[in-house]
Amino acid sequence: MLRLERILGYASDAGMAGPLHALEHGGKVERILLSGDDMLRHRLHVVTDRGTECAVALPRKEKLGNGAVLLLEPERAILVQLERQQWLTLETDDPASALKIAYFAGNMHWPVRFEENRLRIALGGPEQHYLDRLAHLLQDGKVRRVRDA
Amino acid sequence: MSPDGSRSGGDAARVGIGGPVGSGKTALLEQLIPRFIGRGTNIAVVTNDLVTQEDAERIRRSGLIAPERVMAVETGACPHTAIREDPTLNIQAADLLEDRFRPLDLVLIESGGDNLASTFSLDLVDYWMFVIDVAGGDDIPRKRGLGILQSDLLVINKTDLAPYVRVDLQRMVAEAKEVRGGRPILLTNCATGEGVDAVVQQLSRDVLFD
Ligand SMILES: Nc1nc2c(ncn2[C@@H]2O[C@H](COP(=O)(O)OP(=O)(O)O)[C@@H](O)[C@H]2O)c(=O)[nH]1
Ligand SMILES: [Mg+2]
Repeated sequence: MLRLERILGYASDAGMAGPLHALEHGGKVERILLSGDDMLRHRLHVVTDRGTECAVALPRKEKLGNGAVLLLEPERAILVQLERQQWLTLETDDPASALKIAYFAGNMHWPVRFEENRLRIALGGPEQHYLDRLAHLLQDGKVRRVRDA
Repeated sequence: MSPDGSRSGGDAARVGIGGPVGSGKTALLEQLIPRFIGRGTNIAVVTNDLVTQEDAERIRRSGLIAPERVMAVETGACPHTAIREDPTLNIQAADLLEDRFRPLDLVLIESGGDNLASTFSLDLVDYWMFVIDVAGGDDIPRKRGLGILQSDLLVINKTDLAPYVRVDLQRMVAEAKEVRGGRPILLTNCATGEGVDAVVQQLSRDVLFD
């Protein structure tokens, strides 16, 4: 297992862009895809998109971020990339339903965003789990689910 | 350990143990401690209690680990706050233990006993397990508490009690698997230590890397 114990820099750093670009052309940049939650961790047992098994163990004062470069060798680089966040978007024009659904989401400690008459829930697991939990609030049809919002 | 004797990453791994009151978190700690010491893992422990140091005292008196390696955090009213919303006290305790006993490999942090919805902040721990027990009923996984859904490792403890509480253990495990989407589940009997070696192996593989 490959051990990765330091953040060497970020893909956007002036000094990184050149070498990464060259490696990218040879298909030698590997990516570790992480959710926003996993990004907070200091220790991770993960596999890159090209199948390399890695043990990430960072000093506690360092924090992972999108584009963090963990390995830079003449023939290979490994960097961390934030997974695209999946959202469940709900819409309503009924104030009472809006209050209920926002109260419920808060009680569940779900991370959300408000956009006009829409509530966006950042999914941390299978969408169906969330829909099951919300079923009692969706059944009267006053709250609608919006796809690809 | 690497060839020059320095430890991977320099800082100790931090692992949380959460779960409802009485599910066997302290009992699991008592089973884990001698196993880690036996395999040469340098450990320390933080316990959380409401207003006493009951669990810390129990572990200090156990003779399993040097008493000064066990620190208690008193959480006051709300045990989950100390591991999720504001884990400052627990971070300080872990930092202190790490300074004092460097180089530590692992700090185990037992939460104060919460409900099924409790989770650990990833500011505090690198990895956390959630301990439920068979006697709590086989419908617990179906209830999909956040602890059951999101923990890195689900431990189902007190397997010895299944016949006495009319619990179908196979079904409990199958339903836990279904809601956890492939993340690990282990069965233990912390009264005897059965199944605890597998917990040690899982932690070794996922966070200690040794
Ligand atoms: N029969 C049986 N009893 C257990 C087991 N694990 C823990 N206990 C008992 O359950 C009670 C609660 O355990 P404890 O570790 O204090 O739970 P905690 O509140 O989660 O820390 C104690 O009386 C333990 O002796 C087990 O696997 N089997
Ligand atoms: Mg306890």
